[in-house]
Amino acid sequence: MRKTLLGLLGTLALLLGVATPALAFEPVNVVHTEKVQAGPYDLTVGFSTWPVKAMQSLDFTFVPEDGIDGKKGTLTLLYGQEEMDDSPLARHPRKREVWGLDIYALPEPGTWTLKFDVDGPAGRASGELKNLQVMEQPGPPMGLSWAISTIPLFGLITFIVIAWRRTRTP
Amino acid sequence: MDITAVAPATRTVPRGLVPAGFVLGGTLISLIGLTWDIQWHSDVGPDTFFTLPHLFLYAGSAFSGLASLVVVLMTTANAKRDKDVDPIVGGRAVGVFGRTFAAPVGYLISGTGAALFLVYGLWDQWWHGLYGFDAVIDSPPHIGLLLSISITMVGAVMVFAVARDQRWGTYGVIIAAAALLVFSMVTSLGLRAVPGALFNPVSVGTAFFSVMILFMAAHALSRRGGAFAVGVAVAVLQAVFWWFSPWAAEVYANAIGLPLRDYTDGIPGMPNMIPMCLVLVAVVVELLHKVPAWIPGAVGGAMIAVCAPLQRVLTYGGPFPINARYLTTIVLAAAFGALAAVLGRRFGHMLRHLAPAKENSHA
Repeated sequence: MRKTLLGLLGTLALLLGVATPALAFEPVNVVHTEKVQAGPYDLTVGFSTWPVKAMQSLDFTFVPEDGIDGKKGTLTLLYGQEEMDDSPLARHPRKREVWGLDIYALPEPGTWTLKFDVDGPAGRASGELKNLQVMEQPGPPMGLSWAISTIPLFGLITFIVIAWRRTRTP
Repeated sequence: MDITAVAPATRTVPRGLVPAGFVLGGTLISLIGLTWDIQWHSDVGPDTFFTLPHLFLYAGSAFSGLASLVVVLMTTANAKRDKDVDPIVGGRAVGVFGRTFAAPVGYLISGTGAALFLVYGLWDQWWHGLYGFDAVIDSPPHIGLLLSISITMVGAVMVFAVARDQRWGTYGVIIAAAALLVFSMVTSLGLRAVPGALFNPVSVGTAFFSVMILFMAAHALSRRGGAFAVGVAVAVLQAVFWWFSPWAAEVYANAIGLPLRDYTDGIPGMPNMIPMCLVLVAVVVELLHKVPAWIPGAVGGAMIAVCAPLQRVLTYGGPFPINARYLTTIVLAAAFGALAAVLGRRFGHMLRHLAPAKENSHA
């Protein structure tokens, strides 16, 4: 028993030891930018993949010309005219000097709007990145993806049906 | 495998406990990995294949899977040598791939879940290559992975249910069922794919799985207090994870030099998916044990749906939405709760058939 426990602890230590050097987080690579004028603030919106596709996650960055110090604000995502999300502008977890969204996906293809409300030394102002075109999702149709992913559930149901029939009380 | 004739008299570990303990331990490691990972994504963010929470998820399935494999191979070896196979270890053995393997049915299920986890890991890797490293818990491959772990957890309930006449079997069923119930709260998030304009499918799913697993465990143990014990075990897991999840996310972030996200609310993600009223539901199940199962099932399902927004208001604040969608959700949760109770009771009956003991002659 003691040998087994030592073996298990050794395996865990090995796993952690191997894991540590692999913990290198991807840098934020901006491959496309758009400009947004929010009153006195010049914002640059960066995208880590372009064009944007539905459900495909990417890094967004939002950078005022003179940096984010002393400023705060809100980002509102609109799909057509419908408000989908409303959250404070937060620093990007892997690029702390700018605001951003990390590995974030827009769920639907079509026309999106990013609305910025910025509050800083030059006062409050709003600006929008209109007509952000999001293409169709890549990959197989969602129905097929769900069919593949729920095979374990249907397998379990089949097993239950067999067990049910075999344990029926006469 | 038959050690009783040569084992020293001081040996006290009951037969079947060690492999069952490994399978249960693996599922608990998976559960820890899941709550930690969910919290990591909400409080910190950056992701790789080898984050520590991910390693817990992989290690959990590996533990359970390897333990199951060892039992199946040992049982197969015994069967080939025409030795008696003791069904206290995972239930009666069934033939797999003809008669190539002899697998105790409980370990067959737990091992199958672990094997599926590997397959769905590959599917998830392909998905991330196509869609990016999105931190979406309810993507199709993630639900496939969660379902695979759930199958291992069902196997864990089975291997303990076989020994329910012994104390370790009883405790094992309670803990394994509690782990399955907690885990199912996350798997229920897959129901967000169901259109939710008229009702909240996740609340209905939560009610269904909670009631079903409570009834299943209670009837498998067939003793007063079974449902209540599972309810208390779930509450203990909820309390421990409530403390653990944000703590572990922050400690791990500090250890690798990552900051917490701006505007992190610190509310434990997975523990907050577990209905806080579950102990009360379990009390109702116990008190109404003499009426048909569907009645306490419906009451329990409705209670869970009634309390879901209350819990949200309690933890996140905001308004309490009494509207047609809320009321429809309660009615549907009651209906599915009634169905879940009947199914859970039957599943408990099926678990009792696994046991080698007195009361049945076939499985």
